[in-house]
Amino acid sequence: MSDTMSDAQARQLPHATSTGAAIVVDAAKSDRPRSLGSDAWRELRRRPLFIVSLVLILLFTLMAAFPQLFTSVDPTYADLNRNLQPPKWENWFKFGVDGQFGYDILGRDVYARTIYGARASIIVGLTTVLGTTILGGLVGVIAGYFGGWLDSLLSRFADIFLGVPLVLGSLLILSTFASRAHDNPSAVKIASLVIIALVALGWPVFARIMRSSVISTKELDYVAAARALGARPSRIIFRHVLPNALAPLIVVATISIGSYIGAEATLSFLGVGLQDPVVSWGVMISGGITYRNVAPHLMLFPGTFLTIAVLSFVMLGDAVRDALDPRLR
Amino acid sequence: MGRYVLRRLLQAIPVFIGTTFLIYLMVWGLPGNPFAGRCGQRPCPDAYIQRMTEKYHLNENIISQYFWYMSHLVRGDFGETFTGVSVNSLLAQAFPVTLRLAIVAIAFEALIGIVAGVVTGLRKGRFIDNLVLVSTLFLIAIPTFVTGALLQWVLGVEWGIIKPTVSSEARWSELIVPGFVLASVTMAFVTRLTRVSVVENRRADYVRTAVAKGLTESRVTGVHLLRNSLIPAVTQLGLDLGGLMAGAIVTEGIFNIRGIGGMLFMAINRQDSALVVSIVALLVLVYLVVNLIVDVLYAVLDPRIRYE
Amino acid sequence: MTDLLVAGEPASQPAGAPNAHLLEVEDLRVEFRTLDGVAKVINGVSLHLDAGETLAVLGESGSGKSVTAQAIMGILDSPPAFITGGAIRFKGNDLLKMSREERRLVRGEGVAMIFQDALSALNPVFTVGFQIAELFRKRRGMSRADGMRRAAELLDRVRIPNAKGRVKAYPHEFSGGMRQRVMIAMALALDPEVLIADEPTTALDVTVQAQIMELLAELRRERNMGLILITHDLGVVADVADRISVMYAGRIVEEAGVYDLYRKPSHPYTLALLNSIPRLDLKGQRLNTIKGLPPNLLRIPPGCPFHPRCSMAQEICQRELPPLRELSGGRTSACHFAEELNRE
Repeated sequence: MSDTMSDAQARQLPHATSTGAAIVVDAAKSDRPRSLGSDAWRELRRRPLFIVSLVLILLFTLMAAFPQLFTSVDPTYADLNRNLQPPKWENWFKFGVDGQFGYDILGRDVYARTIYGARASIIVGLTTVLGTTILGGLVGVIAGYFGGWLDSLLSRFADIFLGVPLVLGSLLILSTFASRAHDNPSAVKIASLVIIALVALGWPVFARIMRSSVISTKELDYVAAARALGARPSRIIFRHVLPNALAPLIVVATISIGSYIGAEATLSFLGVGLQDPVVSWGVMISGGITYRNVAPHLMLFPGTFLTIAVLSFVMLGDAVRDALDPRLR
Repeated sequence: MGRYVLRRLLQAIPVFIGTTFLIYLMVWGLPGNPFAGRCGQRPCPDAYIQRMTEKYHLNENIISQYFWYMSHLVRGDFGETFTGVSVNSLLAQAFPVTLRLAIVAIAFEALIGIVAGVVTGLRKGRFIDNLVLVSTLFLIAIPTFVTGALLQWVLGVEWGIIKPTVSSEARWSELIVPGFVLASVTMAFVTRLTRVSVVENRRADYVRTAVAKGLTESRVTGVHLLRNSLIPAVTQLGLDLGGLMAGAIVTEGIFNIRGIGGMLFMAINRQDSALVVSIVALLVLVYLVVNLIVDVLYAVLDPRIRYE
Repeated sequence: MTDLLVAGEPASQPAGAPNAHLLEVEDLRVEFRTLDGVAKVINGVSLHLDAGETLAVLGESGSGKSVTAQAIMGILDSPPAFITGGAIRFKGNDLLKMSREERRLVRGEGVAMIFQDALSALNPVFTVGFQIAELFRKRRGMSRADGMRRAAELLDRVRIPNAKGRVKAYPHEFSGGMRQRVMIAMALALDPEVLIADEPTTALDVTVQAQIMELLAELRRERNMGLILITHDLGVVADVADRISVMYAGRIVEEAGVYDLYRKPSHPYTLALLNSIPRLDLKGQRLNTIKGLPPNLLRIPPGCPFHPRCSMAQEICQRELPPLRELSGGRTSACHFAEELNRE
């Protein structure tokens, strides 16, 4: 009996699993349609942190695009008679007046400068992330999809750039190129240099994520089947690999916007990033630190804005990750 | 195990060569007169140019320049600054200070990060969990230079609890606040890493097995759960040691600590390229060595890795 | 209800104490409180087991068989799982009324459990010797060296070759079958009176499955343990079980001696299960499968939970939940038409 029984078992096992799979598919059909994306979206809308961070990010983006909506005061207008004057609390929530956040050493309006400072941070943050995502994503896809010696080569190459710490490396790049440029470089040029430096050192992180997503997706049965049927690499990458890899990439990209905004400010603080007369939070904070004993508002207001901006992107990334990774709920 | 270590070592060598070459290229390899803007505001002294060209073969192509530079470096000769001071002696003074600062920072990371991570992981969803999570968000979001400047101002100037700047001896007690500042961001990451790891492992099958064996709760949590949950945190701590030394540049600048970071900061401002390359090469070397140690540590902690 | 169940079982019961089974589950109820609602996972399950006896609990995934086992062990994840009623008596004492510490002492010593996937159930970062010796050290106060020696003896007992050398090995260094033997050795360390095996062979090759089942049966005989085998596979238990309880949607729908159950199932679900086993003598014919899906436990249909899938369903089945009733021959069934089925 035991022989026939174990034979029966052997046959029953695959049968049992196939009904199991059928159950999953049917349940999905009979219930209302639920994909990871729509599930994540439903989950996200429930989260106050997500809503708050999204609103804040929209606000900062608006500030960067149309600072005139928030203040009508010229951020570069200097009046030495009012230098280092403290904030005028009574002027808060009034449009068209100045002094809400006090005045800096040259008597410029700190509130107007803080509003205008959003532009540099947002532009640097977004452009850098765009650059790292594209460059890193491309390298990651190539390394992961084609594998072999190309993968080893690209991975070692990424390791080399990962070996240089972000702030240290960009400090080096910026100081080298800035010392070469004898003329006074324009704000656009310095901002581009900052972006290039951050992209040059930041792409390997994205390449690694993309590479591992591609490798794990490549192993999936339906992708292997598509390859066996002779689908072109571009089709497989766009149809199967990218949609699967997108989730982790979005999360890291969102959080990275925050950290690049912080890095830009740090470089300004170290004296190699954007410089006065460019208006940026980093420039304002590093300028304000000198006077913090007599006029702490110079540092506190741009510092608060910077922190909230970074916080919103980190929180948004967090919320998206939690929504996409149900295990950690 | 031996083969694993050897493989990791062999992988680290090309990365070290690649990274140092990259840095060398960035500092010395750009087109034009290599000594333009290399010695601060004034032109370089002729004697220095001559000495450097001879020693590092600066008139040859970039590959052989790099080769000569490395051949000195591996013999422990980091070169000299344009003022004629040996870089070795400068590093010998500054490196211990930075190392001490990094150790204080790592201690904060380990102590606060792991404890907070374990507590929140075990109490997921409760008040304390949310409180710590929000705090970590703030720690991550506030740039180090803001944290540093704020703490220096509040604790040092307003309240007078600490001296705003660190003396040249850089005693351990003086490094507590700067160490905390340096660790602030990574501390938050370690907390979250530990928390996620505890949350994931808490529902693991082997934890259920340990309960089913009739072990006490403290044994299940303290031995079976923690041993597994701490692997990523310990790995992260090791990796941070290298990163913190490089990140010390901001903290050392704010608290006027005479470490590697402060020295690099000054070297960059004075455009003392020889010093810059040497310091960065040293930091990269430290980073890679620590990475290697962490890999080995990881294999010790997680037996599955050794056989991959 | 318990009395009904007792009537038809093999004569392995200690004389003089007709109601004191070694292990007795009575009207157990468990629910999972999730964000989507409350899932009633166990809806009044009663079981009993005596020393030296093998009870098989059979059911599809989601029928509640593993949850029952976890409730007995006291290792349900709570939340989401909550025991809302019933009793689990071990040697007459209700485990659900014990203090945490008393309950802990029953685990491993009174009732032990082996799990389906030994690779994830063993701690990956400790040697198997450490994990077995831990029981001797923490529960018996033995020294580390003595514990390791006893661990090696146990590994030898479950026929792991070179047991002395293998105590220092890590779980991932064993093959699937050997790993399951390690699990069994660990469960036996404190000489439990009841051993619960939750799908112990599902993850294994067929030949290894048979060896493991043989080993379990042998150890049960040798130690006069009560053995509960949880499985979805009728074939696995046919040789070793004394009685079989069939579960569906958190209820027991039929219980009978293994021979009776195979010969003449008295619940349509059991019948369908038996018919869905591929048979060599019916080669070439279409395999019978059970149509439809197990019910969503958040919305168990009214009446008999099996009626939407049942080929014999009548109007009454949609209305009335059939109770578990005793039939002739000491077996029980929860079907309105059990007698008719039995007669056929």
